[in-house]
Amino acid sequence: MTIQIFDPTIEAKGRHIAYAPRPKSLAGLRIGLVDNSKHNSDQLLLRIAGLLERDYGAKAHVMRRKRSAGVPPSPEIIDEFKAGCDIVVAGVGD
Amino acid sequence: MQLKSRHYAASDTAEAMELCYAKGWTDGFPVVPPTEERIGAMLAAAGLDPDQQVAFIENRQVSVTAEKIAINTVLAGCKPEYMPVIVAAVEALADPLYGYHGPATSTGGSAVFMLVNGPIARELDMNCGDNLFGPGWRANATIGRAVRLIMRNTIGTLPGVLDRSSLGHAGKYTFCIAENEAESPWPPLHVERGFKREQNAVTIMAALAPHQFSNGLSSTPEGVLTTACANMRICAGTARQPQYVLVFAGEHMAIMAKAGWTRDDVERYCFEHTKISVAELKRINLKDGAVGPEDETAMQSLVQTPQDFLVIAAGGRAGVQSAYIPGWGSKNGSQSVTKEIRRP
Repeated sequence: MTIQIFDPTIEAKGRHIAYAPRPKSLAGLRIGLVDNSKHNSDQLLLRIAGLLERDYGAKAHVMRRKRSAGVPPSPEIIDEFKAGCDIVVAGVGD
Repeated sequence: MQLKSRHYAASDTAEAMELCYAKGWTDGFPVVPPTEERIGAMLAAAGLDPDQQVAFIENRQVSVTAEKIAINTVLAGCKPEYMPVIVAAVEALADPLYGYHGPATSTGGSAVFMLVNGPIARELDMNCGDNLFGPGWRANATIGRAVRLIMRNTIGTLPGVLDRSSLGHAGKYTFCIAENEAESPWPPLHVERGFKREQNAVTIMAALAPHQFSNGLSSTPEGVLTTACANMRICAGTARQPQYVLVFAGEHMAIMAKAGWTRDDVERYCFEHTKISVAELKRINLKDGAVGPEDETAMQSLVQTPQDFLVIAAGGRAGVQSAYIPGWGSKNGSQSVTKEIRRP
């Protein structure tokens, strides 16, 4: 007699994500930096911003720190970036 | 009852168990094949329909249905009457305060510590005594295991893929205990957190392994807690300010009771006596920067508030051992959550 066993996993469902169009040039754009709160993440992001400003003509940058690496930026940070930035650099790593 | 999950045929139980291994559904131990009859018994015990959503894990965009919980609960070897505890724990996993994504994925390697309170703990024969964190009790062994299997199979927290723990620990198989409510000098933890004594509740915390400390010399709370605080002052959570569970077993618990120390007394004593200077944190490389003169007197507390020590009574009656359990990361990223266990 055969027995049937049921699958505990779920099938991934496709989800459409609307990406913002990539800018053709960084010249004159304002950069938002998401500091994930990990050690040295602020140093790394400032180096990146420096390169984007020096070599690609980005205009300015602002950095904001998340309360923890494992959570999204607060709504206040997102609102600030939406109002004052043209591109955002974010990443998580150890 | 109409189950929606895919199903597979096996010629007998042994082949079904091997198929579960082949599909990658186990934690390494053998599992119970999830048949329709067994899944149905789980759902009935919780009074849930299969397609009912129990939790939505925001970061993963995963809907955890009663059917998937029931399948994993069968795999883990649970009795049907355990199912409501697991449902409540999954609700807690999805609570924003718990913050699933951080502790589930972090190299920090946390497990889901679970504390069951209320009459259900006695009814399910959950261990709150001897060999507290060890093997021997089906409910402790399989309820925690079921939660981990749900994380693995349904939420996709696979070791080496989404779960990037550098080390992990044995609590990732199961990490589920009850509180010794009958002998505790304090109200049960769920009562401390706003529930009634006759209600059932589960508290979860993203947690590292338990650390045992021993003190057979002291007969006062201050004496026992001096040892506890010395052990905690420089430990896995130092400088990060997670929450901690403090587990007081038999003889230490009796010392607290005899002296009339409240939970609040214990929390405040530990808060004050686990502080460490910023200078020391810098010397042992838990805080960056050079040591300045002011760092010698600037003190940092181990936890954010005294209530971030979750003080409970559990463990064997004999012996002079107790334990502390550091939480994962920081309270800013994840904190303990208590949910009511509801039965139909």
